[in-house]
Amino acid sequence: MAAACTRRSPDARDEDEDRDSENADSVWGSDTSAGSGSTDFEPEWLDSVQKRGELFYLELSEDEEESIFPETSTVNHVRFSENEIIIEEDNYKERKKYQPKLKQFTKILKGKRLLPKCYNKKNSNDNGPVSILKHQSHQKAGIVVQQMHKDVNIYVNPKKLTVSKAKEQLKLLEVLFGIIHQNKWSWRRIGKQGSGERLVVHGLLPGGSAMKTGQVLIGDVLVAVNDVAVTSENIERVLSCIPGPMQVKLTFENAYAVKKETIQPRKKKTQINTSDLVKLFWGEEVDSIQTPPHSPHIIMYLTLHLDSETSKEEQEILYHYPKSEASQKLKNVRGIFLTLCDMLENVTGTQVTSSSLLLNGKQIHIAYLKEFDKLLLIGLPAEEVPLPQLRNMIEDVSQTLKFMYASLDGALQQAKLHSSVYPSAQQYDVSSSVLLDNLPGVQWLVLPQEIKMELDTALSDLEAADFSELSEDYYDMRRLYTILGSALFYKGYLICSHLPKDDLIDIAIYCRHYYLLPLAARQRIGQLIIWKEVFPRLHLQHSTDSNFEVFQEPEGRYFLLIVGLKHYMLCVLLEAGGCSSKANGNPGPDCIYIDQAKTTLQQLEGVDSYINEQLISSSNTCLSCADWFLAGPHEKVDSLTTSPVLSRLQSTSKTAVSPTCRRTLFGDSSLKTRKPSPSRSSGGSDHGCEGEEGVSTNLHTTPDVVWKQRESQGSGGSEESGALLKITKKKSTFPNPFHLGNLKKDLSEKELEVYNTMKLTSGPENTLFHYLALETVQGIFITPTQEEVAQLSGSVHPQLIKNFHQCCLSIRAVFQQTLVKEKKKALNGEDHSHSTNSTVSSFSPVKEYGVLFECSPENWTDQKKTPPVMTYWVVGRLFLHPKPQELYVCFHDSVTEIAIEMAFKLFFGLTL
Amino acid sequence: MEEEGPGATVHLLCLAASSGVPLFCRSSRGGIPTRQQLPFSVIGSLNGVHMFGQNLEVQLNSAKTEDTTVVWRSFHDSITLIVLSSEEDTSELRLERLLQMVFGAMVLFVGLEELTDIRNVERVKKELRASYHLIDSFLGDSELIGDLTQCVDCVIPPEGSPLQEALSGFAEATGTAFVSLVVSGRVVAATDSWWRLGTPESVLLPWLVGSLPPQAARDYPVYLPHGSPTVPHRLLTLTLLPGLELCLLCGPRPSLSQLDQQLLERWWQPLLDPLRACLPLGPRALPDGFPLHADILGLLLLHLELKRCLFTVEPSGDKEPSAEQRRRLLRNFYTMVTTTQFPPESGPAEKAEDVVRSTQLPKACYVVLGPGSGWQFVALHLGMRLLLLLLSPQSPTYGLRSLATNTLHALTPLL
Repeated sequence: MAAACTRRSPDARDEDEDRDSENADSVWGSDTSAGSGSTDFEPEWLDSVQKRGELFYLELSEDEEESIFPETSTVNHVRFSENEIIIEEDNYKERKKYQPKLKQFTKILKGKRLLPKCYNKKNSNDNGPVSILKHQSHQKAGIVVQQMHKDVNIYVNPKKLTVSKAKEQLKLLEVLFGIIHQNKWSWRRIGKQGSGERLVVHGLLPGGSAMKTGQVLIGDVLVAVNDVAVTSENIERVLSCIPGPMQVKLTFENAYAVKKETIQPRKKKTQINTSDLVKLFWGEEVDSIQTPPHSPHIIMYLTLHLDSETSKEEQEILYHYPKSEASQKLKNVRGIFLTLCDMLENVTGTQVTSSSLLLNGKQIHIAYLKEFDKLLLIGLPAEEVPLPQLRNMIEDVSQTLKFMYASLDGALQQAKLHSSVYPSAQQYDVSSSVLLDNLPGVQWLVLPQEIKMELDTALSDLEAADFSELSEDYYDMRRLYTILGSALFYKGYLICSHLPKDDLIDIAIYCRHYYLLPLAARQRIGQLIIWKEVFPRLHLQHSTDSNFEVFQEPEGRYFLLIVGLKHYMLCVLLEAGGCSSKANGNPGPDCIYIDQAKTTLQQLEGVDSYINEQLISSSNTCLSCADWFLAGPHEKVDSLTTSPVLSRLQSTSKTAVSPTCRRTLFGDSSLKTRKPSPSRSSGGSDHGCEGEEGVSTNLHTTPDVVWKQRESQGSGGSEESGALLKITKKKSTFPNPFHLGNLKKDLSEKELEVYNTMKLTSGPENTLFHYLALETVQGIFITPTQEEVAQLSGSVHPQLIKNFHQCCLSIRAVFQQTLVKEKKKALNGEDHSHSTNSTVSSFSPVKEYGVLFECSPENWTDQKKTPPVMTYWVVGRLFLHPKPQELYVCFHDSVTEIAIEMAFKLFFGLTL
Repeated sequence: MEEEGPGATVHLLCLAASSGVPLFCRSSRGGIPTRQQLPFSVIGSLNGVHMFGQNLEVQLNSAKTEDTTVVWRSFHDSITLIVLSSEEDTSELRLERLLQMVFGAMVLFVGLEELTDIRNVERVKKELRASYHLIDSFLGDSELIGDLTQCVDCVIPPEGSPLQEALSGFAEATGTAFVSLVVSGRVVAATDSWWRLGTPESVLLPWLVGSLPPQAARDYPVYLPHGSPTVPHRLLTLTLLPGLELCLLCGPRPSLSQLDQQLLERWWQPLLDPLRACLPLGPRALPDGFPLHADILGLLLLHLELKRCLFTVEPSGDKEPSAEQRRRLLRNFYTMVTTTQFPPESGPAEKAEDVVRSTQLPKACYVVLGPGSGWQFVALHLGMRLLLLLLSPQSPTYGLRSLATNTLHALTPLL
């Protein structure tokens, strides 16, 4: 059941002309290879391998399949569907038109197994989206007509099938058409539905005729067969009446039209299944639909080379997306972009990077990227994406495209790749995670040494490739691939990497592009296998240095293998050529390597729980929740005096916020391996926090107790401790209901265990709210995990973090300018005698940037009292030497912090 | 504003939007006006792209290359101003405000009617010539900051009240409401009516007076870009002491001859000493002996509601960096702070962020520059006042805010 449910239908709207060419560029699985003959020995993903050897195979684990159902629907599905219906309508019309002509042709080809796809579309529009999930291709802006029903004609031959599978009488739908309807779900809910379960398409059998048509989509509802109304009751009867080989007309209710109406809850749930998956894959794209449809955005790829011989229309446009009205306007003024690009370069001698313009009263930034005589443009509204981010984004997009398709030209000039280009650009549309997505790094989870060692060993074993089947002696031939390195992700966090920074980032961007990291975090992957030829920049930059001493990259080809299992994801970069045998043609995924990677993951399954624990309980620093610091209304609001928080906190009693937060985060056992600092051994800092025990019952007074205790403890003996404060505490309460599961476990297991927590801030009180440390050499960053942040809860805190991210973006923009200038200076050398003069006056290099914010609870209803005010700093610090590092911290105003000290603490021991 | 020689140039182009005829073209290099001009083809295409976009309902605002920023702005659909700047750290904000100032200056001399309805291009060109030196002063280095902040540069006289009284009395005696006392382009004291002048002219008039060559008395016809863009007024200036001028804005009366020696002597002779005390105030802005922390190298205090500012880089003037560099650093810091943390009250860009930041208000910010300079900056926003300080590297970073707070408290009674 699991296999069928999530198997993707083949490229639905591919054109038949196109199919013969290299449509296999699509990263999505389509079953061009003969699928029916698969034996037990062949891996289940084999059907999905494409002509060029690429594979994208995803299967969710069984329990997840069902657990998706209770998940609540989000709003954007409905909006999303509008676009869908338009497309359905298109196809529908076209299909009607061409159906008769094609029918015979179809039959012939089908017999020869040459035409596994649909033929429903003649080439009339050049949007060749190669989507399997129909959601992706919402390019067409047309008349909005809601297509409720669609007819699909499928040729069936019941005789052939009934011979072999007579016993599966009850599954005629599956056998004949390859449509899977999950009866299990039906009878479970039959009480609600009454008689006659609706036939929702839950899955499509790979190679089944329904899948081949490409018109039947998961979530559709089968309402009639040859105009006979069907339900789950009568379907088998109706189908068994099919006498012999014939064309059967299946009438489906369009999934999305149905959803719009939201008639029956059950149906809706089914669609959530698909939609949720879609959201995971194209998640950010889906979100971007939330932005009003008129918000103008555009991606264009233009050539500056005018070929006046060919008289093709709009020949300078090599690629253009989307086709909405607003973007049409932007397209129409492409002359501006071309002229600016050319002229400004001539006048100033430097390339144009961006411009901004006003369209429909909205400011739109356009970022430029010129490569040879081609120009890539991305335009987005300023209110959604600030300019510095847009600059980063266009770099990222071009990097991703180059990684996937070797060059921008290759990626964008082939119209059939449209769909894969688009999301990569669109994924940045949403602002929530913009900061983290833009960072040149991967979020790293700091793990205790023992676990890390285990992971390292596992990866090293894999990379060594000396297990029997992979060793060269075994088959007495050169091995196919050399493993250059591998990286292991757990729930989207990097936990181990043996890859150089550039490769790591390339792969991370690729995963981000396909939304794989959140996928692993949210849903347990049953099995994920991706195989793709890639073009990592690091290895393809041939050094011009003719010096033979320097290492020359072999002229090999590179393949990316991603294997996912449960929450793990293992990315392996393989090299063909060099010291392994050269790759010819388009080699498909290699079973041995995939199996080995899988085995590695299976080995690590035991570590799973440790990592999870680490993820949930803490990273290496303890955080405070902003809400704890919101002083009571009777507090004197004087943001200017740096009154110590302690005096304030002592008098805090009636904070409006719920103090249902844990005061400290527990457990960084990695710390145990470090040398204990002298201050830790001083008894004064050891401190049992009995006051916490009452949290759940005595909500209002408890923080007071805690604060006071903290204070007394602080004055007691830990002033000198500063750096490392050991807080012992009993895990008595876990007020967050969402973590109840962990709670119980934790309670039972470690009732009395002692935990160490590193405190980042100085002073007796922990004033750190959030942090982000970016290490550019290894390409990683650390920041509190989502689980950690969720534990802090609070009402103000999420806002604070949002603001923190926003502020970091603007600070980072300043830092990036500094870095650019530093690079320039390094290039120019020190021969400029007057350069000292200019550096003195210029506003760089900026090394530290801090902003003080004042915040108050959002909806303060009490009219009589002024809302409590809390002030906090967001400080960014840039380190150029010895290696570029960036640190952003957010802490309460009460204690003066020195950013460099905090940075030292955070970066200490931060090595992959 | 950049001393690097060949690279750092500013080109200002003014074109008639309807015909595309260039009205004038001013350039400066390293803060000094030059005659070097952009080739006409470049001017044409710069104007062309802007015009082309306008026809298609797309308004091109700015473009950036790695080292140059171009800003377009069209006024009243008849004048297009384009500025192209390769100064280091130049920002769109600075260039946009520059263009507003330049257009204000054009209106000041020619009047709005002449500019919106261009019948005879040659005549407009000729008339605009009068505004060149004022426009050039915007392109070059200036001691003032009003062009960027759009606030009036002020100084605080040591004895303010007698001056203020004399000013009011003099205004009454001459029958003009708009009177001010200007020392090297900065306002020492002014009547209430003068303070109520609208934005471009309130900055432009003192700036104009400060940039003109010294003369005993002047009678200038001026249009007020905000208050009276079509009807000219007279700007009378009388030099009381070298560098210290009395400005009157009035209608046909009184004539310059009416302001005879007697009248002047009667009102100002007794105040000769306080007036003398004002003379050195120009670059220092603050009265002698005002307690400033030793680490403060430069100071900019803005009152955002009154639209007045105090700007000085005099404190500890003997130390590095030079006054010019300090000015540039503070200008850059102001630009950065205004674009990121403390957007102006009615900026279009601010609205989007407003929603998010409603409960998260920035109050202060600081910047520390890296090795090689080490200058520190701190900005503090309190009520309607915004204080920006340039501080020496010795000052401890953690103490920046309290230093700024104390300074702002000390300055609050002054502005």
